[in-house]
Amino acid sequence: MRLPDGVTGPPGADGAAGGEGGRRDFLKIALGAGALASLAAVLYPVIAYLKPPKQAEVEVTSVKVGKLAAIEKDSGTIVRFGSKPVILIRSAAGDLRALSATCTHLDCTVQYRKDLGVIWCACHNGKYDLTGRNIAGPPPRPLDEYRVIVQGDDVFVSRKT
Amino acid sequence: MRTPALIAAVLILAGRSATAADACLTCHQGLGDKPSALWAHDVHARHGVSCAGCHGGNPAAEDMERAMSRDAGFVGKPSGDAISAMCARCHADSSRMASLGAHIRTDQFALLQQSVHGRLALDGKQRIVQCTACHGVHGILPVADPGSPVSPLRVVALCASCHSDAKYIRTYNPALPVDQLEKYRTSVHGSRNAAGDPRVAQCVSCHGNHGILSARDVRSSVYPTNIPLTCARCHANAALMASYGIPADQYAQYAASVHGVALLVKKDLGAPACNSCHGNHGAAPPGVESISQVCGTCHALNADLFAKSPHKSAFDAGGLPECETCHGKHDIAPATAAMLGTGGGSICTRCHGDGDPGFMAAAAMKRLADSLAASDSAARALVEEAEQKGMEIAEARFRLRDARQAALEARTTVHAFDEPRFAAVVGKGLAVTSAVADEAARSVAEYYFRRIGLGVATLIITLLAVSLYLFIRRLERRQAAGRGGDAGFPFMKEDTHT
Amino acid sequence: MSARWHKLYGWLDERVDIDELVRFMGKKYVPVHRHSIWYYFGGVTLFLFIIQVMTGILLLLYYKGSEQLAFESIQFIMSKVQFGWLVRSIHSWSANLFILSAVVHMFSVYFERSYRKPREITWLTGMLMLFLGLGFGFSGYLLPWNELAYFATKVGTDIAGVVPLLGKPLMLFLRGGDEVTGATLSRFFGFHVAVFPGLFTVLLVIHLLLVQRQGMSEPQGLEEGESRQTMPFFPNFMLRDILLWLIVLNVLAILAVFFPWELGRKADPFASAPAGIHPEWYFLFMFQSLKYIPSRVLVVDGEVLGIGLFGAAGLAWLLIPFWDRKSARGIRNRTISYIGIGVVVYILLFTILGWLS
Repeated sequence: MRLPDGVTGPPGADGAAGGEGGRRDFLKIALGAGALASLAAVLYPVIAYLKPPKQAEVEVTSVKVGKLAAIEKDSGTIVRFGSKPVILIRSAAGDLRALSATCTHLDCTVQYRKDLGVIWCACHNGKYDLTGRNIAGPPPRPLDEYRVIVQGDDVFVSRKT
Repeated sequence: MRTPALIAAVLILAGRSATAADACLTCHQGLGDKPSALWAHDVHARHGVSCAGCHGGNPAAEDMERAMSRDAGFVGKPSGDAISAMCARCHADSSRMASLGAHIRTDQFALLQQSVHGRLALDGKQRIVQCTACHGVHGILPVADPGSPVSPLRVVALCASCHSDAKYIRTYNPALPVDQLEKYRTSVHGSRNAAGDPRVAQCVSCHGNHGILSARDVRSSVYPTNIPLTCARCHANAALMASYGIPADQYAQYAASVHGVALLVKKDLGAPACNSCHGNHGAAPPGVESISQVCGTCHALNADLFAKSPHKSAFDAGGLPECETCHGKHDIAPATAAMLGTGGGSICTRCHGDGDPGFMAAAAMKRLADSLAASDSAARALVEEAEQKGMEIAEARFRLRDARQAALEARTTVHAFDEPRFAAVVGKGLAVTSAVADEAARSVAEYYFRRIGLGVATLIITLLAVSLYLFIRRLERRQAAGRGGDAGFPFMKEDTHT
Repeated sequence: MSARWHKLYGWLDERVDIDELVRFMGKKYVPVHRHSIWYYFGGVTLFLFIIQVMTGILLLLYYKGSEQLAFESIQFIMSKVQFGWLVRSIHSWSANLFILSAVVHMFSVYFERSYRKPREITWLTGMLMLFLGLGFGFSGYLLPWNELAYFATKVGTDIAGVVPLLGKPLMLFLRGGDEVTGATLSRFFGFHVAVFPGLFTVLLVIHLLLVQRQGMSEPQGLEEGESRQTMPFFPNFMLRDILLWLIVLNVLAILAVFFPWELGRKADPFASAPAGIHPEWYFLFMFQSLKYIPSRVLVVDGEVLGIGLFGAAGLAWLLIPFWDRKSARGIRNRTISYIGIGVVVYILLFTILGWLS
């Protein structure tokens, strides 16, 4: 329990209430000021800490997709990578490839079309080949590549370094 | 049938001088068969080797039964590997060969066994090639003799007798080309060889003779890292090259060049050897227009940009070889920043004079490239400083890769000789470096801020601690003096126990 | 001003009747003698625990307890969140100082024999809190999901699995599976922020209430009639406590700035263990001792023997108030001192040995 500035306590309990006038005030003022300043020195970092930083979220570097056996051959699955969609393609031969699933045209989410053998964007009929290169339609750029790592049975997707 | 032969043999024998110790030959010559006819010119015959030298038997015996008897060591016509073994009995014997001349090799058989020709043939019973396949059987001549099938002017046809036979080669290696002879004849080597020059390169010059290894074999003289030296055997011989009017410095230049260092020192098989630009069997220097195509087989993007740039038409008009004009051909040095611009060591100023648009563009691009390099190293230095100070800055360091990427892209984009385009690429890099430098600078500032902040906080806490200490001391002094020291808590009565 | 305080006090008293409590508190005294210095360590430990709770809550706002994000989230806190570096380093340093302070507190109580009647329950709750503190340390250590932590947890839970009969189920329970995985991380996170704090709080409340109720224990040396010096708890001892706490706070800040806590490399279960993994210093003496026990002693497996011995020793230590009858009767028990010195020397020696190896 700290005493706020200037409080001198009930008169009478201490006969010397006013006796040491200046010195007592000084010490209590120093005490009060010190206490407040210390409180500020503690609260300032805490409050700054609570303010969310500009990059609001942690950047994901790798995501576990699941078991290799669970991914069908000649299929494409959309996986969440942090806050972005990634399409994981498993070819008929069994190899895996991961590409960004955000269409480079207007950011729709692409899908794998088994019948056409390409990655297709439903919004404006954009097409990409299985290496991500844009081959038809409005997309201006290829899809970004991600790394696929298979460890034992598990499949991981990570950022391409 | 035997009687006339016998009579003939006796007659011939009678007519011959006493030195004919080779009864086999006498008899067979009488028979008129081809081997014995050839044997007359054979180099072995000149050195006193008899038929029995290879076939065994008793050369002194006139009687066929005795001469060709197994007991006398007759082996008949050796076949398969026995043939080469027979040759090797003498030719691999160093003491015997030494008596004929100190320079004579004895390693042919060993080399043949290890070579690609020494592998098992289709029937699995013998090697693909025996000595006799190339040297002949009975009429073997020295290599230098123009009549020898392995002489420089004739060996090409000899090798081609198998190696241009698609059906035959397919049985051993379906991927092996069979057009070498055809291509060879289009080359300088091939046309001169056809014209009768024995000094130019033919099959043996590059591939070797007995110890021929597959081009994929590291030890082969035509393995990529060995090719430059193989070519240099002739092309670095100043005296030899002088007679053709060709310089002999290509190998030296190449070995010092960026391609040479990559291939010969770093063993990077992606780097070009002589044949990558000149061709293998159809070797010839590429024509002026072809150079950019040749370089462009690897440096595709640069070639593409160049072809669309204003320099293309200019170079064509001036008859200037494209890549070579700025980069050289054998002595290609790593591209440096100094090549661009208008300063010392710049290539642009070779053609562009002060004030012309090209000169201005070059100067502008150089300024941009320099600014990127400078801001990249500044950003890198700041990141290092932050790292040294123990600040967490892994992400910024990761993004610096993009700056390097931009610098590389700029180097390639230069070949478009288009300043705005170059500026765009450099601009990407500059954006990254300035962002990274900002973050690193902030990180370093944060480091100092933390220490200053700590100092301030410590000061405050010390102030509070000291005042508190003094307060306690005063309180307790008062309590001791019985005045019931007042901490100011209104609802407590202090009693002190003593 | 004081009139306002009086009014507030009166308002509260009318509703909650705190006057009696306040009067009781006002009568608390702390003995003053040459061993008084040890009285402060309980308070320092409490202060450090409070720091842990506060910084822990702050960390909870940004920490993500999954295998994929744990390491990155701490990297995020250290580099992107304002003063995140400070909060995290203070949390890590304070954890170690907390255990150190708790151990000092425990030994001071031991050597003063303050556990004797009527303070047996205080001792029990205190020892249990110390064990929980070690649990806090062990579970918290894994949360950054870095290399050292991953392997230290592997080894630590392996040792838990050595306990006869219960070992395997215990290990499965701790790990949330056969191996140390993201499931382990989730469990440890749950233990660290919910289970242990809950248990600890209950024990702490009991412990503090008992201390308030029974007052401070006095050393046996003092005789009854001797004039005892005391000081009032409020305000004297409390102000001194606060002064000490301020200094501790400053020390924490200095440590956080000059010796920031490292993060290391992200755990990779498929990589081989780095050389020289070892647990935190407070487990080192046990870790080192286990290394010296031969793999087989008569019929018993070496590790089981080691764990068994430590378990037995821990239990004996826990139950000291019940077998140290002499102290309860007021007689000075020299054996206790000798045992205590032996234990301290052993722990120090083996911690140093563990550190050097």
